[in-house]
Amino acid sequence: MSTLKQLASKFLGHDSVFARRTAGGIQPPPFKEHSLRSRIMSTPIPPQLTIPIGPESSGEITRLVDIADQVLKYQKLAVISFSAKGRSDVPVHAPTSGVITSIENSIVADHSQQQQLCINLTVDGHDEALLLKPHTNHSQLSSADLVALIRDAGVIGMGGAGFPTADKLSAYSVLPIEFLIINAAECEPYISADEALLRERANRVVLGAEILKRACAAQRCIIAIEDTKPDAIAAIKQALLNEASNQQCCELVIVPSKYPAGSEKQLIQCATGIEIATGQHPTEHGIIMHNVGTAYAAYEAIIEGKPCISRFTTLCGQALKTPKNFEVLIGTAVGFLFELCGIEANKKQKSIVGGSLMGSELGNDKAATCKTTNCLIAASSNELQAPKAERACIRCGYCADACPSKLLPQQLFAFSKTLDTTQLLEHGILDCIECGACDYVCPSQLPLVSTYKESKKLIETRRQSLEYSDYWQQRFQFRQYRVKKEKDQALSRKLDAPLQSMQAAERAPKNKNNEADFISKEQASRDIAAAVARVKARRNEKNK
Amino acid sequence: MSALQAGAPFQHSGRNITQLMQTLMYALLPGIFASLWFFGFGILINIAIAITFAVLAEAAMLRLRNRDIRSHLGDRSALVTALLFAIAIPPGSPWWLVALGIVFAIVIVKHLYGGLGQNPFNPAMCGYAMLLLAFPLEMTGWHIPFEVITEPQSTDNLGILILTAEREFLSPLSWGGFKQALLLAFPFVASGVIDISEFVDGLAMATPLIEFKMAGKSAILAARESGASLFARESETAWEIINISYLFGGLFLLYKKIISWHIPLAIIATVFVLAALFYAPGSVAIYGTPYLHLFGSATMIGAFFIATDPVSAATTRPGKLVYGIVIGVSIYAIRVWGSYLDSIAFAVLFGNFCAPVLDQYCRPRIFGHGLRSKSRPNEAPVNRE
Ligand code: SF4
Ligand code: SF4
Repeated sequence: MSTLKQLASKFLGHDSVFARRTAGGIQPPPFKEHSLRSRIMSTPIPPQLTIPIGPESSGEITRLVDIADQVLKYQKLAVISFSAKGRSDVPVHAPTSGVITSIENSIVADHSQQQQLCINLTVDGHDEALLLKPHTNHSQLSSADLVALIRDAGVIGMGGAGFPTADKLSAYSVLPIEFLIINAAECEPYISADEALLRERANRVVLGAEILKRACAAQRCIIAIEDTKPDAIAAIKQALLNEASNQQCCELVIVPSKYPAGSEKQLIQCATGIEIATGQHPTEHGIIMHNVGTAYAAYEAIIEGKPCISRFTTLCGQALKTPKNFEVLIGTAVGFLFELCGIEANKKQKSIVGGSLMGSELGNDKAATCKTTNCLIAASSNELQAPKAERACIRCGYCADACPSKLLPQQLFAFSKTLDTTQLLEHGILDCIECGACDYVCPSQLPLVSTYKESKKLIETRRQSLEYSDYWQQRFQFRQYRVKKEKDQALSRKLDAPLQSMQAAERAPKNKNNEADFISKEQASRDIAAAVARVKARRNEKNK
Repeated sequence: MSALQAGAPFQHSGRNITQLMQTLMYALLPGIFASLWFFGFGILINIAIAITFAVLAEAAMLRLRNRDIRSHLGDRSALVTALLFAIAIPPGSPWWLVALGIVFAIVIVKHLYGGLGQNPFNPAMCGYAMLLLAFPLEMTGWHIPFEVITEPQSTDNLGILILTAEREFLSPLSWGGFKQALLLAFPFVASGVIDISEFVDGLAMATPLIEFKMAGKSAILAARESGASLFARESETAWEIINISYLFGGLFLLYKKIISWHIPLAIIATVFVLAALFYAPGSVAIYGTPYLHLFGSATMIGAFFIATDPVSAATTRPGKLVYGIVIGVSIYAIRVWGSYLDSIAFAVLFGNFCAPVLDQYCRPRIFGHGLRSKSRPNEAPVNRE
């Protein structure tokens, strides 16, 4: 088999890893060309930054600065500790220098759109920075050092999940890691940040991938990219050639373009052929996946010694005159970015954070960008409108054909309507990755994904209430048991005096404080011995 | 609650039910044209009557159910039901037969069960089956307009005319053919003007099935052997040509991804396999060749257009395959061992009956479920040079 593959790879000029078929998927028009027309730009420093630290519920937040403090660029502002969840800390750094004016809850442009505790920084414009400690030769550092540096730089998953990168990496200490997969399959329409990054800075991404590979002690590193991105593929190939001295640090696998090819478990199956079972973690199969942006952040964290203070964000939508990809300082207001792209305010109908299929509508353009804000869409009134002609499900099954998890969305929908949680679970609603592929193809234009989200919530509350009632039932049963036991004991005490005396003897040492004044220790032990002897004698008699 | 509820995804494929139904209607056109060519205007009159009553019945029911009539009628689902129904009804049937069937289909089978998406049975086929049970006589003759030159000589034991060489075909597309079709559909117009009983009797032609049970040779082949034109009405290639037209329509639907291949393929394969298994050259008359089973009767329209009606069919992929097999077996069994003249309607209804069970038990394996063993990293199926 492998020789066949080698032969094929010779002819096709690909690397030795082949993409495998995954279930379902759709091919929506990508709308990426507009934002890819210009190069990545750095934003000018905005006058005000609202740096999200994290939702208060997420972990314990240690503030390292206070209101009215003067901070420098790269200075650590706060640390969120996830120790309660068994994760490590994530620090947050100042993207530029300035004065802290307030610390309060405000809305952040990410998928959940919860209020997060944010540090408001009034920028002084000097951009005075702390001195960085670059490590140009990363091969001298051990895995643990690399992980520690990455943790200290506050790098989190840039793909959207926002899981602390260091935690993912340190899985190697428990399980051997075979594959590190760099996810460049940016399949969702509108988002082009990763593609732009690869086109322009593939060298650094590849270097970052190498760092990640060493940090998690992976045997192989695979960069998975969709076949619709020829420029990025060429750039990676070039970068891999440049790194050739390092003998094959990474392999390239070109996956067929479809949505959601970039979803974690789907991409793993596509790139390695391994199907991760429900409830399993990829690390159990020796696989770790990181996003391209994360690899870039790792590069910056090690080679430049720079903490994570910016990210790449796509700005697009028909209401923008010049859509493009920006290197955005964390904490920049969405509205500020829209302004930079020449927004036509009267044309804008809504703002969306994230892509067109999994994003969510942003209520307020004052929201601050965070480390997971990958795309911002200023949609005009003739794009991305929710279809209005909702009809009954005609059971055409298009949704099932599109579902990457091989679920039956039509059945899930029917069971959601009847609130049949047993059937919902049976039909695998918890395996729904909320990708929206079913929604996209449904000719009846049903709001399938929102329905599933509601159902999942319902299942969760039912489960909780069940747990709650179980808890109280247990308490109640235990009380009954205890009452009964006490009664029984009282009864047996009355009936069986010797037993009682034995119990008293047992209790005696424990009740020392009360009785020690009257009975000496030896006396007590003598008494006990005598009592025990008496009981034994009586038992023997009885037995005879 | 909020922004999240406003609902991803924001992008939609733009597909809707109206488009779907429209494409379905286009796909029916070749078959309809073929029928028109061979059987004359009867089919168009059937269609016209069926559509009129379907729209009226649908509008009335929507009104009763307090739905928006404009938008729901606009989805064309009633039109598709009417078309499928009209195609199944013998051309030259009286108007009340068509009207009764379609009103039954729309009012009782579709709307009383909850409207589009809720009906467990295929409305068109239910209407058809009801008529077949209630009016067997009216449902068994296919009329071809022709002028009788000499009186027919004999009838066979079923009381059906054996067509003899004495008939002269009147071009069904001529004015005369149109008039006859019209008069057949609306006998009250004709009563008093002409005595239609004469040509009503004379026009009855065996349904394809009977012909089929008796003959046993492909009419197309016969026509080619005898050098007759395939499209000449005399060569009796009508059913085969019509079936092939529907096959093309069906392939168009597949190409357009309106239907999936599972149901048609399962039906066709099942019928083919059964026919091939039971086909014994000695007893051709009873079993028929596989070819005739596929192209001699209504198998193609059944497989591509009727059994694939999504609402009443099985909806899971494995379920669709089983559903197709169930229908294929029923088609063959009813045809060969049953006493009904047509098998598609009952076979499909039987399939509909099984569909919910199939959906519950024939489910695809969910991604990440039921993996036999956990494959460990060192077993990862990737070459490791
Ligand atoms: S795509 Fe829509 S209409 Fe078709 S089966 Fe799925 S939910 Fe029903
Ligand atoms: S949203 Fe859920 S049900 Fe729909 S296609 Fe995606 S995984 Fe399947």
